[in-house]
Amino acid sequence: MNTFNDIKELVSTLKREEKLIAEMFSKRKAIDYKYSDAIELVDNDENRIDFLIKRSVIRENGGCLELDDQFLDFFEQILDVNEEINLSYIDENIKNIKENIGYFLNENNETRRYSYLKFIKKTFRKIGIITLRSVVDIRRNIENTFKNEANYKNKQLKLENLDQKRNLVEKLIIQTLLLIDQEELTFFNRALDEELKRVIVDMKFQLRECSHNLIEIEKQIIDYLNQIKHQGKFIEKLRKLKYLKDHFTIEAETDIKQMIAHKNQVIFEKRIPEPLNLSLEFIRENEKVFEVIKRIARTHKDRTQFQPEIASQISSEYLENNIEEEVMINLEEVRNQFLATSDNLFNFIMNYDFLKQVDFDERVTIFCQITSQYERELRVEEDFQITNGVEFALVYPK
Amino acid sequence: MITKYTSEIFDVLRRGQFICSNSPNEEIQTLYRVLEDENTFEDLHAYFFEINYILEHGNEYFYFSREEKNVDLDRKLEKAFTWIDILDFFKTFDSSFDVGFRFTPSDISNQLKNNADLALKLDSLKKITGDKKSHSDRIKKIIERLERDNFITLQDEISETYKVLTSFNYLKDIITAINIPEEIENEIPK
Repeated sequence: MNTFNDIKELVSTLKREEKLIAEMFSKRKAIDYKYSDAIELVDNDENRIDFLIKRSVIRENGGCLELDDQFLDFFEQILDVNEEINLSYIDENIKNIKENIGYFLNENNETRRYSYLKFIKKTFRKIGIITLRSVVDIRRNIENTFKNEANYKNKQLKLENLDQKRNLVEKLIIQTLLLIDQEELTFFNRALDEELKRVIVDMKFQLRECSHNLIEIEKQIIDYLNQIKHQGKFIEKLRKLKYLKDHFTIEAETDIKQMIAHKNQVIFEKRIPEPLNLSLEFIRENEKVFEVIKRIARTHKDRTQFQPEIASQISSEYLENNIEEEVMINLEEVRNQFLATSDNLFNFIMNYDFLKQVDFDERVTIFCQITSQYERELRVEEDFQITNGVEFALVYPK
Repeated sequence: MITKYTSEIFDVLRRGQFICSNSPNEEIQTLYRVLEDENTFEDLHAYFFEINYILEHGNEYFYFSREEKNVDLDRKLEKAFTWIDILDFFKTFDSSFDVGFRFTPSDISNQLKNNADLALKLDSLKKITGDKKSHSDRIKKIIERLERDNFITLQDEISETYKVLTSFNYLKDIITAINIPEEIENEIPK
């Protein structure tokens, strides 16, 4: 396998094939990146692809190209887009530190000691960053798995695996802290280096942040797992009930009837309208009521109006003033006139001018009325006369 | 008068509605907070008991039940069956359909295009959808039904986003409470 001769060659190669590599990196999830597609990005120059394949930047696999894992990891790590959480990294780094501490303590040559120390500092710095990144990755992966994984069993398995990784990170943190605080006390006492102290403080700070995050992540995982468990069971149950219901056997084969019979929630009840009469007091006193009535009346405008039946006109004749005069007989006056004469009363009345037609019977009645009313002023004789078959006493004024 | 919200609480619950902790309606939230106070709850429980309503506290929601049987069993069963159908439909739409879940009618419409199972289920929900022809009309009807029973509510009018209320726990409890004997359970194809 050919490798790059120096860093310059590597960088310039990457620069030259920037288009292709960028494209392949962005399509890394879709595995089948075709050779034919790639060739267009290198100006149809097969040699350039060959060069990359020879230098193990990309690999060819049955007409498809893919970025070499080493480069892929490198890009992902640098760009902070790695999805896989590689914890062996941290573990290895801890081992490296331990080894180098050993070398450091054994070495007498200052320069070499310094280079060991430099390596230790670098590794500590790395551990802090990698741990933090792993924690962020775990969190993101958990969210993604919970939200996007369609298969329930896989979702559960993936979450459980992520939980294990979380456990591992936790252990690594403890291990790292143990290394600093207990296992290698001699080294930290001997290596009097300001920068080392600062690196350790920074790392401890990062690790503490990680620990806090991990606690939160643990909670989240437990919650998600519970939800999945519960939901999975629930959906299973629901599907079964639906199956039974669709086969019309649910009532016979489950206790739904008994169960529902005990449920007296209001939600099962029909909404019963409650016809309440309006309070008259309210109608009278509330100012808004009139507005409401007017508004409602407007919506009922198209309603057919009942025409009240109208009586026919009163004829004008009825409205005219009609005066009817009737001549009344004034008995008092008749008596007065009689008292001034010497005639007998019957004769007087028979000949009296009443200013209207008065027949015989009426005159007889008037005779009787005057005789009985003014008896005291009259003198009734014993003699009788007969006129028109009526026998009457002769009456004179006193 | 136990609290100044007594009549409002009564008015909501009497209609068979729930008072949910995650309701976007601020009034309902106030009522929930009032009921959350244990002493108030006990007082109101006693108060409503006098007029034949039992104030009950579910998982993050409150509701009314009654001593006497005002409804015949058939009606209750029918309602439970409708819930099973609707729940099955929504769970097919999205298995994470649960308390706090948000969705829009168009989400369901979009799913219909590539989920034949969901489309079949929508077709079989004729009882609820009536003879509505278009998918969106049918979906609307189903949503309306669940909204009327107060298990979901419109959260945002502009984006037409609905939210699943905590009262959904009540439905889940009913489903969980139904017991399927083991020998029958084994006969149901998975």
